[in-house]
Amino acid sequence: MSSSSSPRGFALSSRLVHWVMAVLILAMLGLGLFIAHSSTVHYVTLLHLHLITGVSLLVLVIVRLLNRFVVPTPELPADLTTPMRLGATGAHLALYGLMIAQPLVGWAMLSAGGYPITLGGSVTLPPIVPHNPALWANLRQIHTILAYAFIAVILLHIVAALFHGLIRRDHVLSSMVSGK
Amino acid sequence: MSQTSSSRLLRWGCVLLPPALLAAGFAWAAGLFSPHRLSTARFMTVLENGGGAAPGFRRAHSKGLCVLGQFDASGAMTAYSSAAVFSQSHIPVTGRLALAPPFPHIVDGPGIVRSMALRLQPDHAQEWRTTMNDPPLQPMRDIQDAFASFSANQRDPVTHKPDPRLAKAYEEARPWLKTAYAANRAHVMSSDFANDTFNSIDSFQVTNAQGERHTVRWSMVPVSPPEAPVRPEDAHDPNVLFTHVIASLHQQPLRWNLVVTIANPSDPVNDPSQPWAPTDRTVTAGTLTLHSSASEDNSPCGGMVFDPTILPSGLSLSGDPLPALRSAVYMRSFVRRSGETKDPSSITPAMTQPH
Ligand code: HEM
Ligand code: HEM
Ligand code: HEM
Repeated sequence: MSSSSSPRGFALSSRLVHWVMAVLILAMLGLGLFIAHSSTVHYVTLLHLHLITGVSLLVLVIVRLLNRFVVPTPELPADLTTPMRLGATGAHLALYGLMIAQPLVGWAMLSAGGYPITLGGSVTLPPIVPHNPALWANLRQIHTILAYAFIAVILLHIVAALFHGLIRRDHVLSSMVSGK
Repeated sequence: MSQTSSSRLLRWGCVLLPPALLAAGFAWAAGLFSPHRLSTARFMTVLENGGGAAPGFRRAHSKGLCVLGQFDASGAMTAYSSAAVFSQSHIPVTGRLALAPPFPHIVDGPGIVRSMALRLQPDHAQEWRTTMNDPPLQPMRDIQDAFASFSANQRDPVTHKPDPRLAKAYEEARPWLKTAYAANRAHVMSSDFANDTFNSIDSFQVTNAQGERHTVRWSMVPVSPPEAPVRPEDAHDPNVLFTHVIASLHQQPLRWNLVVTIANPSDPVNDPSQPWAPTDRTVTAGTLTLHSSASEDNSPCGGMVFDPTILPSGLSLSGDPLPALRSAVYMRSFVRRSGETKDPSSITPAMTQPH
């Protein structure tokens, strides 16, 4: 049973930002993998879409963190075993970490590579680290490693969510789907 | 009993199937199910098989020299493009003169394709990076041609040389490249970097303040280059072309006019292997002045990439299929070499000092 101070489901604002970001992040992972593993005449357009969406996700995760501290979130079911509880908390922390780190690494790596980061027209993002080729090579590799870690944690997260909804049949899945 | 267990199985299926499908989607995006899909990694493999993949060096145009100077726009291109590079003067330029083969210590000689790469950084405006080679046309019209062409130039593991029959087969299988091969063979190489003309070959689009668009190509055309200082030791100098341009720059600045060709409606704008009409309008956009040179080992041009898709607003990609490919491949070459320990370049810092 959840305590009286915490709601049973996620607030509309929390659900909205969760699902919008979920769709965008899945799209970004697929898009990133595709552009890094194919030669296409659309490369420049697709990479530009990747940058714009990546930077939008950075803005969204800030909104999400603010929302998270302002709007109360439901507690996990009381009968959850300690390992499951730790797993859920750990996975959520990892997801937050990756949502913050991945776009920052993307921005930093292009800065280190000396690439101008043009959002559109004459709007350009400033570099966040100095031009440094060795750092560029490292950050580019970290962007790949984080992407694979992101995929792994998301897959676990989805298995866990569906496990709650279909096997345990508790309120966890519905708390994020319908808010009930 | 069996009913509950089969419904349990079904529910587990519903738990595991969606993530499994998602994982399969990611694997598809990463090309796991498409071994024949052309990819940046496959381009890198054939390029590296063509050269030695010398650690720390560019995977093409490996032997080069940094140059510094400025660009002064004439203003004539402002009718066609709103880019600041076409209206400002004293725009700082960092560039690189290079030989195209993927060998960082290749012996300079006539008949080796030469290149000029430039980064123009106007004040408070977006930069422009452009790369130009000295042949007039590119003997490839699309990404498939590019892959076949570099594949045909891979070195045989036994003879350590490319098999000339493969290059011949590439050419013979592509009648559409006849014009490009003929033009490049008829092209008379200049004696030096200083008196060479460098061509964008690929086309790009310009947009003016009114939003009108034109497709363009451009060339850097030398302006009254000095006589090359011919020395008796030239015949034995493996870096003779670089020695000459370094010496010329110590004597006086070197100048090129940036000549932009505006496509007419019947020009093949999407195909870098085809010539444009000789009657096309040309615009002299400004003058490049190179003042000095530096070794890529201690100058910023070594650790940067001249990605031809880095364009200021007012300049953009056309339907030419190659720049997008080049952007991805240059990035991968830049990542690889930036993560490696580099041997000294053929053109050392000492060589660029005045004697
Ligand atoms: C949540 C945000 C992001 C996600 C999930 C993401 C994901 C990815 C993935 C999966 C790849 C392919 C990695 C590989 O297989 O090597 C990739 C590549 C890349 N990403 Fe991101 N990315 C994000 C944000 C950004 C941002 C903000 C930028 C730049 C400002 C950026 C720039 C790049 C670049 C330049 C590449 C390399 C493309 C290539 O190799 O041709 N990314 N990204
Ligand atoms: C693809 C990227 C995704 C990310 C980055 C992500 C991230 C998160 C995070 C950080 C939380 C913790 C609550 C919060 O602070 O918002 C959460 C909760 C949740 N997510 Fe996701 N999620 C993703 C996709 C999905 C998908 C596809 C599903 C459904 C199959 C799902 C179902 C849930 C559920 C049911 C919760 C509530 C867990 C609880 O009660 O604590 N998520 N998600
Ligand atoms: C119109 C056609 C092309 C022109 C004018 C051109 C020109 C150049 C120039 C001038 C450079 C030297 C840049 C420097 O000095 O730093 C260069 C580098 C390079 N080119 Fe091209 N190129 C063309 C097509 C291609 C194609 C089709 C490929 C392969 C897909 C390719 C692969 C490379 C690579 C890997 C580098 C080294 C990039 C680096 O590490 O910085 N080029 N190119």
